[in-house]
Amino acid sequence: MKPAAPARLYPAALFNTGWRYLLLRRWQTALMIVGIALGVAVMVAIDLANASAGQAFQLSAESVTGKATHQIVGGPQGLDEQVYVDIVRQKLVDFAAPVIMETVSSPELGNLPMQLLGIDPFADAPFRNYLASGQVPRPDQLTPFFTRPGAVVLSSNMAARYHLSLGSSFLLVIEGRAKPVFVAGLLNPADSLARRTLEGVLLVDISTAQELTGRLGKLDRIDLILPQDSTAAIQTLKPRLPPGVEIQTVAARQGTIEKMTAAFSLNLTALSLLALVVGLFLIYNTMTFSVVQRRAQFGTLRCLGVTRREIFVLVVSEAFLVGVIGSAIGIGLGVLMGRSTVGLVTRTINDLYFTTNVQAVGISLESLLKGAAAGIIATVLTAAFPAWEAASVPPREALSRSALETKTRRAILLTAAIGIGLIAAGVMIFQVRGGGLFLGFGGTFAVIVGFAMFAAITMALMMRLAAPLLGKALGTIGRMAPRNLVGALSRTSVAVAALMVAVAVTIGVSLMIDSFRYTVTVWLEQTLQSDIYISVPGFNATASLGTIDPNVLPVVKSWPGVQRAGSLRTVTLDSPQGPVQVSATDNPDIGKERLYLEARLPTDKVWAAMLDGGILVSEPLANRLGLFDSNRTVSLSTPQGFKPFKVVGIYFDYANSEGSLFMAMAVYRSIWKDAGITAIGIRLLPGADSDQVSRALQDRLGRIQQLLIRPNQALRDEVMAVFDRTFAITAALRVLATMVAFIGVLSTLLLLQLEKQREVGILRALGLTGRQLWGLTMLETGLMGLSAGILAIPTGYALSLILIYVINRRSFGWTLQFAAPVDPFLQAILIAIISALLAGIYPAWRIEKKAAAEVIRNE
Amino acid sequence: MNRESFRVIKPASRWLILLALVAGLACLIWPQQQPAPGPAFDGFAMTPDPGFAHAEGPISFNFPNDFGPHPDFQTEWWYYTGNLQAATGDHFGFELTFFRRALVPPAQMPTRSSDWAANQIYMAHFALTGVRDNSFHPFERFSRGAAGLAGATGLPVYQAWLEDWLVEQTGPRSFHLSASDSGAAIDLNLEDLKGPVLQGDHGYSQKGPQPGNASFYFSQTRLQTKGTLKLGDNAFQVNGLSWMDHEYSTSALDTDQVGWDWFAIQLDDGSELTIYDLRRKDGSIDAYSRGLIVRPDGTTQRLTTVDFAIHPEATWKSPRSGATYPSRWTLSISSENLELQITPYIADQELRLSFTYWEGAVQVQGAQNGKHLAGSGYVELTGYFQSLQGQF
Repeated sequence: MKPAAPARLYPAALFNTGWRYLLLRRWQTALMIVGIALGVAVMVAIDLANASAGQAFQLSAESVTGKATHQIVGGPQGLDEQVYVDIVRQKLVDFAAPVIMETVSSPELGNLPMQLLGIDPFADAPFRNYLASGQVPRPDQLTPFFTRPGAVVLSSNMAARYHLSLGSSFLLVIEGRAKPVFVAGLLNPADSLARRTLEGVLLVDISTAQELTGRLGKLDRIDLILPQDSTAAIQTLKPRLPPGVEIQTVAARQGTIEKMTAAFSLNLTALSLLALVVGLFLIYNTMTFSVVQRRAQFGTLRCLGVTRREIFVLVVSEAFLVGVIGSAIGIGLGVLMGRSTVGLVTRTINDLYFTTNVQAVGISLESLLKGAAAGIIATVLTAAFPAWEAASVPPREALSRSALETKTRRAILLTAAIGIGLIAAGVMIFQVRGGGLFLGFGGTFAVIVGFAMFAAITMALMMRLAAPLLGKALGTIGRMAPRNLVGALSRTSVAVAALMVAVAVTIGVSLMIDSFRYTVTVWLEQTLQSDIYISVPGFNATASLGTIDPNVLPVVKSWPGVQRAGSLRTVTLDSPQGPVQVSATDNPDIGKERLYLEARLPTDKVWAAMLDGGILVSEPLANRLGLFDSNRTVSLSTPQGFKPFKVVGIYFDYANSEGSLFMAMAVYRSIWKDAGITAIGIRLLPGADSDQVSRALQDRLGRIQQLLIRPNQALRDEVMAVFDRTFAITAALRVLATMVAFIGVLSTLLLLQLEKQREVGILRALGLTGRQLWGLTMLETGLMGLSAGILAIPTGYALSLILIYVINRRSFGWTLQFAAPVDPFLQAILIAIISALLAGIYPAWRIEKKAAAEVIRNE
Repeated sequence: MNRESFRVIKPASRWLILLALVAGLACLIWPQQQPAPGPAFDGFAMTPDPGFAHAEGPISFNFPNDFGPHPDFQTEWWYYTGNLQAATGDHFGFELTFFRRALVPPAQMPTRSSDWAANQIYMAHFALTGVRDNSFHPFERFSRGAAGLAGATGLPVYQAWLEDWLVEQTGPRSFHLSASDSGAAIDLNLEDLKGPVLQGDHGYSQKGPQPGNASFYFSQTRLQTKGTLKLGDNAFQVNGLSWMDHEYSTSALDTDQVGWDWFAIQLDDGSELTIYDLRRKDGSIDAYSRGLIVRPDGTTQRLTTVDFAIHPEATWKSPRSGATYPSRWTLSISSENLELQITPYIADQELRLSFTYWEGAVQVQGAQNGKHLAGSGYVELTGYFQSLQGQF
């Protein structure tokens, strides 16, 4: 038999009480919304940037690889065009297309990096579909494309943007040389995908590409479309390819680059999540407060027969409403912020990883949905704790206001214990062998939340210490402030935790960047030993792979003031584990000019070993290929097939995260028959002025080739500029996290002070002056800031160690020298106290303004 | 007017095909999907260049060199067709055609350093007809006449090729043909029984009333053929007869014609016959239509529209293009007292490539002076799917 239903409040009326509460406490609600909005905005902005970078890469890749499944590639100088002709004349595969590619720019086309794509239109149709539709061009329209030198076809959108029309001439800068070209055709892509694929692509015939790049008789690669089961086709092809020419899958080649940027993107995502976490503290805090405020109301409701479930749903629905509004605002804000983050991230990726020819991509709906979902779900989940709290208290106890505080004080030790458990768990996660970046971030979050759990106990202890001291110094107020804070520990500790996490992130990230900067400075000092560097201007800040004109080196060698001119050849060679950047050097001091992680020989024996075929590998490469055991070799594709090279040392290198290796120029040239030079390093005679020589060389060499001629200091400055650019977004995120925390503290204080209005009124009535009340409030907030700052010191320190030794290692394979200046710590405590004090100003001002009677009447 | 001046109608028609197909090359490069407003490709057009050589009167040919290319002229083609029998009784038809088109006159080609810089575009068609299983397999390819991808040579040896499709001279009168694509393949040795037959006035074929609007044109009308043919999983040893046409010119078209019906017939009495009907816009037969009889001893007899008449007896509608083609004919040549029934071996030999046309193997029965005659041949039908007018 069913029991008779108890008398119930009409549900709508019940929810009205909740929503009206939100409306009445406008400040409180607004602060919650701001907290969520900021967290979501940061997440959306970063996600948009990541998505945009990923899409730019996809589109760039698609415009050049198209539907190819495999590629035939040769050595550093490409492969002989005859390889393609032989394949086609024997029809070894159904679909094969020759490709020559080069990143170029044009003063008439905004000097942006563009992809020069040399193709054979007769072979290319199955690979790249440039036109989704259209009319048939007349044969005479195609004639210039095939016959005239410098004939370029581009999309009509690009042409319109740069005011080019059919027949317009413009200059293309290719490896530092300006070549005249003209518009031989315009493509009108029918759909937006085709349009975006063509964005930044200059299409030329393979003959034109050979002539513009100087690669006569050569191809960069041959694209193939092989059937699903490609084994038979590969077995037919392989024996017919000359030695040194390899066939590989497109996925393998692209995967390498995608893996590189994945770590970078994941780092940004993790940082953006941190902003959301700080925002969640704020929500938790505010919701808890709202529940505490309404304990009496809930008690009454329970007495009226409202069930626990209904109370729970009421509180959660409030949170849901706030979450929806906050997320919506956050998405709008995120899109606005995204404009700058997309630029920052794309810039960094261009600097460090690959050159995209895609300038702008649309806003990804997925990023927005992700942000909304994260905001709403996180808000509701966070609110579930206070909601459960509100629902689980028996009706009578709910009316007692001090019950929660008593419970909180009891829970202090338990919370601290959980904190220790979380930190221990985090540290254990880091020990997992072969643990990836995801586990790394998991551990990091565990440690941070673990430290945050100490907020309550830290405050309780600090206040116990502070009370007598402050009492002596400031009298009654000095004793009151610590006690007030401990009395409201359930809210104050959460606010302190939020501020602490934000400050700790500031410290951790600052220490990481400082250490990184310090490491790079030391590394540059050791590595850049020449006085002047010459290279071909490129689009990638860390490595320029353009070839210097052979006429340049003789000029440099005989230049007055030049003691020695060393040359470097940097190329990308294939290994079974993917492409590897190889630098061949003729510098016999290379052994002494590197810092070694692992020297397998005395530094003065290194050069001899290198002349004997030994190589030096960078730390990231050693990580990537697993070269830490002695007797390891790196296999490289040579004209005679794969050949192993013995590793004679592992050096620190921060130039790229895929890794690179050094070999002796003599060894390289004897194997690859490549006399090209990528960079020249000049040592000057004592007394010669490097700036002066650079300028003079610039004047003289400019006639041969447009070159970057940089004195040591200029190059160093440039590297540091790239470095700072790379971390610009990190710094921006750090500021945002602090902002969220600041708003958190502000809201907590505001609420605390509002709650204490009656108490304040009594204090005023008892004779406390407005000034004293002001002082009390500021003291309370200052103490909260100080607590957060003090707890942030160990947390930030731990975070920086994690970032340096776990996250960076796993993301980029770099070992950073830990440098711990005092400044970030002092700054952090200052930030904590100042933001707390700032947050206290408004509540203090409000209290001071109100007359005692008014305050009491307000009750 | 000189009778000879009308000899070039069939060559002219093939020129039309060439132009249409070269235009269609863009379809291949940039496949069509859906219509969009405005042209999808806007090229920087050059005005047609007067710098090419023109056929201006009879010349003397020098074989084998003249089997090779004549790059001073803008267009050139090598046309091989044939009917083949296997020991199993299967009958097959094949077509292997190479087209060359120069983009600019050789003297005006800019100096280029890349091997790939091309002034010549090559296109080739390969088609196999399987009579027993009623199957037809057409293929098309394009490439540039550079870097060894496609081309033609006369000396030291005559060759024309596009990727792995190839014709080459292997002896004073012998030639080798090979082509394959998607399960269809031929590998044939051809023995020329009659030697080159000069069309028109000693190979000079005037195209219209204007001087210089003409081409050079010769054929090999009886090529004894032997070799292997593959269709699907089956390989056949085959024997039969092939036919070769080679023509080069630089000329523009008169524009009253919509298409043509062309017949190349090899009879069992040792003679061959070329007949050509040019169809005008108004449906009438153009007075420029011509024919040529090659007698068993190699002597030739030219025919004009007064000498012959062609009557379509049936039609076939292509299920793919929707075009309706004549598919059986009665051909009578009153001056020779000859009447022939011409029937396609199979109805569907339509090539829907860059350009849609019908070119297929036909069976011939008939009588001359009361004596029974039989044979095989190839028929080409153009302008039934789309008029060539308006293409240029």
